[in-house]
Amino acid sequence: MIEVLSGGLYTSIQDLGRFGFRRNGVPLSGVMDRYSARLANRLVGNSKQEAVMEITHIGPVLHFKSKTEIAITGAGFTPTINDIEVSLNTRTFVPENSILKFGLPDYGLRAYLSVFGGFKTENKLGSYSQYFRITKKETIEKGDFLSLNPSEGIPIKITASVKVPRIHFFSDSIEVFTGPDYHLLPKTIQKKILEAKVTVSSDSNRMAYILKGWEKLSAKEIITAPVQPGTIQLTPSGQCLVLMRDAQTTGGYSRVLQLTKSAINIISQKQAGTILHFNLVDQPM
Amino acid sequence: MNQQPTYRHFGENGVLINWPSRIDPLINDEVLSMDSLIAKAFGYKIIELVPSYHSLAVYLKEGESVSSFIELLKELPVSETRRSKNVKRLITIPVCYDPKYALDIEELALANEITTKKVIQLHTGEIYKVYFLGFLPGFPYLGGLDKSLFTPRKSTPRKYIESGSVAIGGKQTGIYTEDSPGGWNIIGRSPLEFFSCESSLQCLLKPGDFVRFSSISKKQFKKIRAEVAKGIFEVGKEVHRD
Repeated sequence: MIEVLSGGLYTSIQDLGRFGFRRNGVPLSGVMDRYSARLANRLVGNSKQEAVMEITHIGPVLHFKSKTEIAITGAGFTPTINDIEVSLNTRTFVPENSILKFGLPDYGLRAYLSVFGGFKTENKLGSYSQYFRITKKETIEKGDFLSLNPSEGIPIKITASVKVPRIHFFSDSIEVFTGPDYHLLPKTIQKKILEAKVTVSSDSNRMAYILKGWEKLSAKEIITAPVQPGTIQLTPSGQCLVLMRDAQTTGGYSRVLQLTKSAINIISQKQAGTILHFNLVDQPM
Repeated sequence: MNQQPTYRHFGENGVLINWPSRIDPLINDEVLSMDSLIAKAFGYKIIELVPSYHSLAVYLKEGESVSSFIELLKELPVSETRRSKNVKRLITIPVCYDPKYALDIEELALANEITTKKVIQLHTGEIYKVYFLGFLPGFPYLGGLDKSLFTPRKSTPRKYIESGSVAIGGKQTGIYTEDSPGGWNIIGRSPLEFFSCESSLQCLLKPGDFVRFSSISKKQFKKIRAEVAKGIFEVGKEVHRD
């Protein structure tokens, strides 16, 4: 059992997402940075589907009442167990009655905490991903109790540790495909959206990243049509919206670009104020 | 109608099928026919399909090639995407148009130079097609609103609109199926529950359904609401020949 002593800034339980209900208007949800979340699961021997804890900028304080194995991946936090620093990207044993703290990240924005066997919070429509219209809880809060799998099943000491490429956190080049409405834009605007430097705004969240830098550009609204995580919209007033995992399933703004799968993971780690540019790549075969 | 759709990549795992860019019930019929055809023929290759007015997104399973899937789609016999006139559901949605719930009905009537009684008469006088669901879980995009009720969205959206609110935004009418912020003009409220996922997903409306609104009093609203809460209210559903 884990008791949550402090919830942090925005901490939620997420798996790979709630598939199969988008035609009913239910967002996909799921971990923002799939690369780091999968790594966290792999380090403790979980399948990639298991739910992990997504930690955003300010981490929670967790009291582990029973022993287990964990891994922390993603942003450069300096986590401690009972005030002793533990390594990121490493399978770590947590003795019973331990306090796990995260501090603030030196780089990146989101960390992932996996526990042996995965988090088993409320499951709605086949997913543990917390989303306010579907699950009772939107985030992890002080006073929550999270159950852990019995530690008897834990295989004895296996050392597992990996090195994560720096590019995942430090690349300012974001790979995109053209979006469904790109061809409707005048050539001059097509050129400008690819040349412009854009800055991550502090209003960004799990639904959408708002980027500044397209204010002088504009695109007409479209007839409402499908959107998905990674769809980049340009509004008539020049706002650049990068739809993320909790995005609506359909939208009425021009879909000018589409992030690649790995670019969604990379942008998920960008803090407010980060300057980025888009790099157009060919559609895969 | 005999419009060839176009196909394009939509991310690494998506195909977007587009018909001419119009809000048109006949075009949407083609979208929904293709939707069920693909679900039947290629269900094993796809995660899910998202239909909209004139466009259909197909999200493929990991490892499926988008280009090969587009080739498969192009080989689908076109005739198979056209269903004969299908039997559809017509669902009656009770709505209380009393100003207690209809926060904007008087303003909307004034703007369109008609009485509130006329607003109700026009709104309940049409049969609307559910083109697709989006925006909020279970939110229906409805077509068929009478022109004299077209009203621009409010310049400042409300921060909170109660679930069940029936509204008009531009040329569209819809129902807020969940509490939500929103910019549409509120002309009434329905006591029905449109979306829930307590044990499994319950969506009152689905793409291709038809709906009509029937005017109820405040007293009937309370009665139906209580029956809905107890799970004993029976929603009016009939067969509709399109």
